[in-house]
Amino acid sequence: MNRQFFGTLLLCAATPLAAQPDHASHAAPRPAAGVWTTQPLLLPAGGRGERAAALVRPSGIAAATLNVYAPVGGPTAGRQTVAVDAAGARISSGTPQLGNFHWLVMREETPERVKVASTAWYFGNPGPSPKALLAETRHELEIVPEPLPREHAQYRESEKWRFVVRLHGQPLAAQPVMLETEFGSRSTFTTDAAGVATVLFPRDFQPQAKESGHGRPSAGFVLSTEKESAGVRYQTAFNLNYGPDADRQRSLAWGAAFGLLGMLAASPLLRRRGQPVNEEVGDA
Amino acid sequence: MLKAIFPTLGRFRLAVQLAMLFVTVYGSLFVGSYMADKLSNALPALSCAYDQMNGGYCVLVPTQHILHHRIGEALVRAQQLTLGMVLPLLFTLLTFFAFFFVLGKAFCGWVCPLGTVQEVVGKLGRRLGFGLRRLDGDGLPAVRRVRPVKWLLLLGLVFVLPLLTGLGVTPHALGNPYCDICPARVATTLLTGNTEQLALRLGDGWSFALGATANFLLGFLLLGALAVRQPFCRICPLLAFNALFQRLSPLRLVKHKHGNCGKCRICSDACPMDIPEISTEDGRRAYTEECTLCGRCVEYCPQDGTLQLKWGPLALFASSREYYKARAKGELPDGTVKPLKFLRPPRPSAKPDA
Repeated sequence: MNRQFFGTLLLCAATPLAAQPDHASHAAPRPAAGVWTTQPLLLPAGGRGERAAALVRPSGIAAATLNVYAPVGGPTAGRQTVAVDAAGARISSGTPQLGNFHWLVMREETPERVKVASTAWYFGNPGPSPKALLAETRHELEIVPEPLPREHAQYRESEKWRFVVRLHGQPLAAQPVMLETEFGSRSTFTTDAAGVATVLFPRDFQPQAKESGHGRPSAGFVLSTEKESAGVRYQTAFNLNYGPDADRQRSLAWGAAFGLLGMLAASPLLRRRGQPVNEEVGDA
Repeated sequence: MLKAIFPTLGRFRLAVQLAMLFVTVYGSLFVGSYMADKLSNALPALSCAYDQMNGGYCVLVPTQHILHHRIGEALVRAQQLTLGMVLPLLFTLLTFFAFFFVLGKAFCGWVCPLGTVQEVVGKLGRRLGFGLRRLDGDGLPAVRRVRPVKWLLLLGLVFVLPLLTGLGVTPHALGNPYCDICPARVATTLLTGNTEQLALRLGDGWSFALGATANFLLGFLLLGALAVRQPFCRICPLLAFNALFQRLSPLRLVKHKHGNCGKCRICSDACPMDIPEISTEDGRRAYTEECTLCGRCVEYCPQDGTLQLKWGPLALFASSREYYKARAKGELPDGTVKPLKFLRPPRPSAKPDA
């Protein structure tokens, strides 16, 4: 059987999956209450979006258009260019029924400087995984998650996540990448030989964080890096949301206590012990 | 060669169960981490979506979410039901059925990770000599009295509450109530070394209560499975969900009447679900809603061809007297096994000198 068959099978099998919850704003960044970074950001404008459309507001970057890349179609056929007005850019999924992660990019360019803001946006309809989407090269300097948190998950405090930095499509080693969070943390990570920066999300969540999809608290973060090449200074940022460490909202002690209570309730079943093991099984 | 590795159907099933436990719990190592990469989100087995390393999702997850987010919320917004709202549910059911058509309820007996965990614990219980307790007049509720529980859980927690939550009648915390009480969620995430699902969510009474129920059930089944076979399967709403479609799958249990049926009852003794009808009934009535198609009754039926596992017209496995004799030598119908001998038996003491 060929890969295409399996691809089709998997797509069919996954079809209702992406359709299940309303994730229209699930993995998308929330607007910051105030300016918390000078880096370029792409932020959602307004509340929970529609399933196949949303409004995105740029911050720290000025451009007339924003590009939306669908998870299928490649860098050219899968691209939509959306005009940006005072309210922001009205984005939509590749086609009304094509969901899953899309890649958003805005580019501001002068002869001396290229500034790129990027983020991922989840449209709550069926669609292929973003593996191919993330592998495509679109700009000179890029920060790409490897991987994105899967649906129903998110970046969280105290977790380590990998991001690849690429220059002209090639992994960029020994490149500093700066992480800034909405709560004011600043830290710098350096890419390894494979161009991968392993980013540790700081434990800096504050109780007043706003809730995003499924009532989960979340806050914005941005990863940024700069590199000069052939007389042009490239500045690239990737922003999304992260959430609090699960330990903050959960109690392992209570969990274990109820597990033990269940065991206690089952213990009377064990009272009657032992049966003869050499019981003969005769022919019926 | 295969005969040497898998001398019995039971050994073959255990190998399949362990392989599927790996696929359902750690499958993302092969298929990828994104949902779109998974085998499916409509598997007829408790392959939990909360397990970040799984290979596929249980059908109950999208069923609850679609009822909550798509249908319930859309009804509130539009005051009408359109095809676009129910289409995802139809897709989920169709995908589920594509899988179910192949293996039917064998997903319960051969694939479900929680079923495998319970069975392994049960084997340990037999090995450790815990007496087997049956749900058949053994001081425990009879099988027939327990049966409605799984239907109530399916109706209430998988269908009604998510829909009511979508309609705004019940709180958001009741949006996927079955997943919240499902012990497979806790068990499979623990198998990946993740304690997050074991830890109870604080600050919301409903979430705390539902999570506490899941943990209680997990604790109960982990210990209870030492003495009672497959304790959670008996109330599992996925077994009920699968039972809704069991007549539509070509894979089924077939029983022909024999003169000894209802007398020797070895098949019922072998059944991990303590189903009496396997022994007392025949035809369609012997293949009950409880059956997980594990095949143990077929293995332990001492009459040639009386019980069969069939896929359409193909008899995959049929009972036989010779097979039964060989099988019962290694393991009794109730799962009791001969004790392992780690030490040499002591030599007979020498006769004392007169």
